[in-house]
Amino acid sequence: MKNSENDYRLEMTGISKSFGVVSVLKDVNLKVKPGEIHALLGENGAGKSTLIKILSGVHHKDTGTVRLNGQEINPKNTHEGQVLGISVVYQELSLVNDLSVAENVYLHKLGASKFWMNWDKITRDAQELLDSLGFTIDASAKVRDLSIVQKQVVEIAKALSEDTKVLVLDEPTTVFDPTDTKKLFDNLFRLKEKGISIIYISHHLDEIIKIADSVTVLRDGVDTGSMPISETDTDGIIRLMIGRDLKDLFPARNVEIGTEPVFQVKNLTARDTIVHDVSFCVRPGEVLGIAGLGGSGRTETAKLIFGADKKKSGTLILDGKEIKTKSPVDAAAFQIGFVSEDRKEEGVFLPLSIRRNISVTSFKSISGKLGFINVENEYKKVLGLIEKLNIKTPSSEVNVKNLSGGNQQKVALAKWLSIDSKVIFIDEPTRGVDVGAKIEIYNLINEVAKKGVGVVVISSDMPEIMGISDRILVMHQGTIYGELQKDQFTEENILRYSIGKRLKQQTQTI
Amino acid sequence: MALTLKEQLSSPGGILKFLVKYNTVFIFILLVIFSALISDVFFTSANITNLLKQVSGIGIISIGMLIVILTGGIDLSVGSLVALLAVTFAILVNLVVLPLAILLTIVIGFSLGSISGYLVAYQKMAPFVATLALMTIARGLGFIYSKGSPVTFKTAGGVFMSDFANNSTLGVPNIAIVFFLIVIAAMVMLRYNVFGRLIIAIGSNEEASRLSGIKVNKYKFLVYAISGALAATAAIIVASRTNLGSPNMGMSWELDAIAAVVIGGASLNGGRGTAINTLMGVLILGLISNILNLLNVPSYPQQVVKGAIIIFAVLLQRFESK
Repeated sequence: MKNSENDYRLEMTGISKSFGVVSVLKDVNLKVKPGEIHALLGENGAGKSTLIKILSGVHHKDTGTVRLNGQEINPKNTHEGQVLGISVVYQELSLVNDLSVAENVYLHKLGASKFWMNWDKITRDAQELLDSLGFTIDASAKVRDLSIVQKQVVEIAKALSEDTKVLVLDEPTTVFDPTDTKKLFDNLFRLKEKGISIIYISHHLDEIIKIADSVTVLRDGVDTGSMPISETDTDGIIRLMIGRDLKDLFPARNVEIGTEPVFQVKNLTARDTIVHDVSFCVRPGEVLGIAGLGGSGRTETAKLIFGADKKKSGTLILDGKEIKTKSPVDAAAFQIGFVSEDRKEEGVFLPLSIRRNISVTSFKSISGKLGFINVENEYKKVLGLIEKLNIKTPSSEVNVKNLSGGNQQKVALAKWLSIDSKVIFIDEPTRGVDVGAKIEIYNLINEVAKKGVGVVVISSDMPEIMGISDRILVMHQGTIYGELQKDQFTEENILRYSIGKRLKQQTQTI
Repeated sequence: MALTLKEQLSSPGGILKFLVKYNTVFIFILLVIFSALISDVFFTSANITNLLKQVSGIGIISIGMLIVILTGGIDLSVGSLVALLAVTFAILVNLVVLPLAILLTIVIGFSLGSISGYLVAYQKMAPFVATLALMTIARGLGFIYSKGSPVTFKTAGGVFMSDFANNSTLGVPNIAIVFFLIVIAAMVMLRYNVFGRLIIAIGSNEEASRLSGIKVNKYKFLVYAISGALAATAAIIVASRTNLGSPNMGMSWELDAIAAVVIGGASLNGGRGTAINTLMGVLILGLISNILNLLNVPSYPQQVVKGAIIIFAVLLQRFESK
């Protein structure tokens, strides 16, 4: 023990934690050296967040010890954690929208300070800090007016405003484009040089390989291994994460694709968003990918078709007949499904049970006259879907907020799978979902397509969209800029269309 | 219900979970035992009958309040609606045949509730504001139509209603039977009917509901309209008990109704709450007044005790659900 004092900045040993009867962490060890970027990996529900929350003082461990610079620590709350030098940037943003950037950055100090604050100084300090991170953000702006990327940067600035010894970043790059991500990494390398220990949680394994010095993998609450990153590779990490080889992330498809389109969109233009002149068709059994950069209008197109946004002009044709979708109610009545990218805000009902979540779209088939629900049918249907989708839960009555991200996503999908849809739009099907659940979701998408449904998948994940689509549309500035057939699928082609350029060899006109 | 009950009790730790889920029931039972121990008048049939009669009116509007709160809204107008509708019923009962008077009062209640419903659902007004406005309007109209003084029942229909409201069937006061029937209807609707499921879904996540193809506006509109109709039912009952409709009736009942729903463990953010627990909330509030009356506690200290017990009851739920 004496020796390790010099070696490690942070030592968590033998950490166990249960919530009620559910054991979340079992004898977990995490050791991080000063000036090290240490990746913490694991599927959703593996216990990463709980481990971090024990470190920061949100949760309290049942057994084990936490040492910071060789001294045992036991933060009772996040404030104590911060004072000790542990700063955490959580995946969910925790900024106060109505305060300025500077006030947010120094929020923790506002509470502890004397009666008067020197606002000018705070704004100046915050501006300096933000500038040093290399992002242009006005420290006196209201957080409400920032983009989501800027908000994430403010979160990071907030964590650094402390005398930070250990910085924890939970999926910091989810909302970043490659340029921002690179800037963030430059910052991390600088912090590392200053001797700050960084614990980095991410699902992007290629990111990890690029920046981390060492890695600890959790699976089902047990640590399955810690090693320097140089001793492993993506495959090795995946094996530790899911406990088996990952030969084929994208299952082979052999689906008969119909010739007549099940759904057609002609010259669709939005009233309030940038979407304009969008035309495409989906055939039964086809998985149509929609790629494009953030802000290119992909989500907006789906919402427009689904009736959640207002249309200006354009035609929708379902099964050869023109339809109008003025609201999601109409769209659902025409058997068009939509799985939102924002699972928590728009996809699932967090405080309700899995059963209540899944049934919400399918009352027509499980209720009789006067809207009385046939509970037996409901259970049968819901339990069937839980089994089919392999939703990991002890019962159908568990609240969705208690499920991991991957399982929540399956519930969001189940809602639309429980009714017979003709077309389903799935926006970012696997955002924030671990590898194991990803494969299950891809299988599910294939199965849905097999039934003759037209599936439209919107995704920013390049390997994903190339792996699961039969055809890819690429959006650029609110309209469809190009279409790629299976033999043209390359990251480069998608990117060229995304930024409004033609393909290199062949010129494709749509 | 038998199915889920059986499931709950047979699952591991089921009995404990059951106790936590129905904690208000146990708070209620404890209060009953406590009351019986400290007062020998408490368990007399006269007192129980009186207690049930007293809570029935507020109980009925509490059920309306519950379904509004389940959608994440609030209905501050119900107390004033009781006053306006009691006056309306008293006027109508003197004008037209009884069944028509009852029907019209309920239809008017539904329509008045629809005003809040329209403002909230289709004009996107904050429920607090829309129903606050209706609250003062209804109270004012009550005074205008009654010219400030109570309107007494003068016809045979009025006598019939007053008999009905003051008598019992099989030992249970008739108006309590009306209240219990409404509670049972609400229980069934919330558990086994699409309507109940959807309003809970809307309260728990309105945007997700919208994107699931639910007619969010229609249901938000309906809950206020139903709350209005239930206020009318309560108004008929309280007017009939006293043989008159007064613009002073239902004073601050909306607050008692909210208190009952909250004691019943419902979340003011919507999405959580049950009819049986609201019934318990109503009974707990009634029981507190009753026992304090039996102990001859004057009315001002009563209010203090009542407030303290509300806090205690809600804290206890928190503690239990941890």
